Amino acid sequence: MAPPPTIASNVLPAALALPFAAAALVALLGRRLGRSAGWIVAAAAAGSSLLLLGLPGHDAVSSFRVPWLPEIGVEFALRADPFGRFFALLVSGVGFFVALYAISYMADDDERRMPRFWGALAAFMGAMLGIALSDDMLLLFLFWEITSLSSFLLIGHHDDEPAARAGALLALQVTALGGLVLALGVLLVAQVTGTFSMSAIGGDPARVRALLDSPLAPVALGCILVGVFTKSAQFPFHFWLPRAMVAPTPVSAYLHAATMVKAGPFLLGRMLPVFGSLPMWTPVLASVGLVTMLLGAWKAFRETDLKAILARTTGSTLGLLTLLYGFGAAEQDALQMLNHALYKGALFLVAGIVDHHAHTRDLRRLGGLRRELPLPFLAAVLAGLSMAGVPPLLGFLVKESFYEELLHNEAVSGFAGGRALVVFACVLANVFVAAVAAKFVLGTFLGERRDAAHQAPGQAAREGHDDHRPSGPPLWISPLALATGALALGLLGATDFTSHLAGAIASRRANPFHVSLVPSPGLPLWLSMAGMAAAVALYLARGRVERIPDLAESHHRPDRLWERMVASLAVLGEDVSMRWQNGSLRRYLAATLLSVPVLAGWALFRAGLSHRDVVVSLSELPWFGLFLCVLLGIATMIAVTATTRLQASIATTTIGFLVSMLFVVYRSPDILLTQILIETVSTIFVLLVLLFMPAFPRRDMSGPAHLGAIAVATVFSLVLTLLLLLSMTPGLREEANIAVRPGGLLSLALEKGGGANAVNVIIVDIRSLDTNGEITVLVAVGLCVYALLRARRARGAGA
Amino acid sequence: MNAESPILRTVARYAIPLTMLVALRIFFQGHDLPGGGFIAGVLLAAAGAIHLLASGVGGAARVRWWRVAVLGLLVSVSNGIWPMLLGHPYMDNEFLHLGPIHLPTATFFDLGVMLIVVGTLMTIFVELSLEKR
Repeated sequence: MAPPPTIASNVLPAALALPFAAAALVALLGRRLGRSAGWIVAAAAAGSSLLLLGLPGHDAVSSFRVPWLPEIGVEFALRADPFGRFFALLVSGVGFFVALYAISYMADDDERRMPRFWGALAAFMGAMLGIALSDDMLLLFLFWEITSLSSFLLIGHHDDEPAARAGALLALQVTALGGLVLALGVLLVAQVTGTFSMSAIGGDPARVRALLDSPLAPVALGCILVGVFTKSAQFPFHFWLPRAMVAPTPVSAYLHAATMVKAGPFLLGRMLPVFGSLPMWTPVLASVGLVTMLLGAWKAFRETDLKAILARTTGSTLGLLTLLYGFGAAEQDALQMLNHALYKGALFLVAGIVDHHAHTRDLRRLGGLRRELPLPFLAAVLAGLSMAGVPPLLGFLVKESFYEELLHNEAVSGFAGGRALVVFACVLANVFVAAVAAKFVLGTFLGERRDAAHQAPGQAAREGHDDHRPSGPPLWISPLALATGALALGLLGATDFTSHLAGAIASRRANPFHVSLVPSPGLPLWLSMAGMAAAVALYLARGRVERIPDLAESHHRPDRLWERMVASLAVLGEDVSMRWQNGSLRRYLAATLLSVPVLAGWALFRAGLSHRDVVVSLSELPWFGLFLCVLLGIATMIAVTATTRLQASIATTTIGFLVSMLFVVYRSPDILLTQILIETVSTIFVLLVLLFMPAFPRRDMSGPAHLGAIAVATVFSLVLTLLLLLSMTPGLREEANIAVRPGGLLSLALEKGGGANAVNVIIVDIRSLDTNGEITVLVAVGLCVYALLRARRARGAGA
Repeated sequence: MNAESPILRTVARYAIPLTMLVALRIFFQGHDLPGGGFIAGVLLAAAGAIHLLASGVGGAARVRWWRVAVLGLLVSVSNGIWPMLLGHPYMDNEFLHLGPIHLPTATFFDLGVMLIVVGTLMTIFVELSLEKR
């Protein structure tokens, strides 16, 4: 198959920038926007979707590239191949419906929190688009981390609830840690292949072979998989997802069903062409996926909270997605992703409506809502049928083709346990998921209302808190739209449309792929029917099954284990820093002053240099320089023997100004100016803090501590003097001085920076990245001083 | 510190504007002659310190200096980003040609540095002066 043509496109960055622009707007204007903040985010999602839909035909690849850090080959590279474009459209499309829903759903929430909510939601959407569209792996990692951060803010939306804070923190810790490991894997891959571009690696068989032959390949893949497994809540990192259900329901629907947790499988899809033939690929992915799938399905059946049920089944489906990529079934996977986003998004949104209406999500207290909530009921039925895999919904097509795939994929039989085990496990998981779907939909909407605490809607309205009918678009629109999507794609399966779609959106196209609404008789259909019958039986016997003791339940809940681990890490950190950072300035200074001569001495020793290589003689010093040195000596003596703090500080200031006079001698106006100003400013500092200092200690000149200080000072000054003298040795000077060398910094400054003051051009232009870091530290220091002193004063005022 | 000696106040009246002018000059000559954003920032902070010593901390404390520092960081970093929009690497230097004036974009970076230095130093000065003893 010839690679599709690549077209340069400026639409890609625009589609990516829209949500971020919306986030900035919402965050800056804050509460002034009020309700319209949600509309802005929804409009950004719609705009991005339209831009992505408008990209040229599905057989071409659009790309946009800007050099970013060209020295190490990092590019701001966006690329929309069919798979990436599909995922991006999933993100922006579902994002639109979720935003639309959230406008009404969040209407009665504390409005002080809303700018943060909409800002984080929009930024999250942008970052997910970034993951979908990045071609550069470092760029992808960057967006990956933004999703972790923004999801932290979204999960912890109700920041006055301890459970919300703990859940958000847990999710952040697990996913951000995984993100860092992912970065390690990315760097390893780039190290071996020499590029960060995924398309450049995947499109070049020689590079792929070089990567797979490298001994680093399993390590790199292992690191990437840790990132994937943490993000998409795979066993053994599955525990953060149920705890994240403290998030507002639109967030759960968007992050924890439709998009963020699918970033893991998405990345697997990206890595499939690269790592797919590594021996560890299939066994690792298939076994992790299998365990996650079964564990999620089993746990889901036992939950009674609507959102917990959905979270557990989502975990199960994520396991299935990982399993499928383990067997290289890319088309199957893309279709599963689409189907799951549609039905699970819809069910989450329905759960939110139920929660708003009945003020509970507990299945044991719900029932009989079909007459009060007819349209959500319809959406839930459609979505539930798709979840259970009943024709004519998309879920049926997906399940049929999935069984087909399992029975014919060669990789499956190679997997430990063989084809029979895999097929059995998958059917079993499907049976449970279908029974759970029935439990969810029937338990909520059929039967009689069980709870006396439920109020009739009219009564609630009279009491003035009729919050299930807020202003804004009706809540049922979004779930119904998503569920209808599942129905439409299912019905279109009667034609070739859905097959074409699956082929077009997959990360890798191999054999012709076929799904059809009209089932062909064969083993898949029998499996499907047997599974359906088993699901019905399981649903009917649910009471008995729920009473079986849970074998997967243990006293060591993984989330608690994790939290204990983090807590002990904090204790360890405190212990270490109490030892190292004991607050004694004397000790800090000694450590600093000793490490310099050790490092410098080591370097001199390695270079084979000693005092014999010094060529300058003191006779070259002009007489006024010598005079300055004498003055310096006197000032130093005064500083050392001072009996009051004021005396000592005046003496050190004098030393500073005398040193700057030396720069006059050596005609170095730049450093002179800086030195004088710094001396002035630090004198002001000393004056300001002088009165807060404790009494000047009386010093015992013969004590061991004092002798130690003298020893440290002597070693430091001897080695530094030697170093400075050596720097004037002719041969060393040219070699070391990168400024004077032809083509060095001096000529570079004039050439590229257009400035004659090389020092300044180096600071603000050539090495501006360094300066960037330094000024950031400076600002952080200022803010810390501000915060610490303010906090101290506030405490003092309160006491 | 409420020394507020009349001599210091009289000196300050002339010294502060003069120092600020010198700072401005030093800022702009930094490209070719000794000077630049860092030194200009320190000079401005010195002017602020004179004001603080002469007229008390009240006036200087009305400004939220940490915001000046954060603004400076925004200026510097955003100056690094916009070459990327033109297809150049992060922090790439460009020249703006406004008639007879040729301005390297690094000037804006330097402006950010100056704001950061002033903001941070003044934050510390003011906060230390506000401490009760």
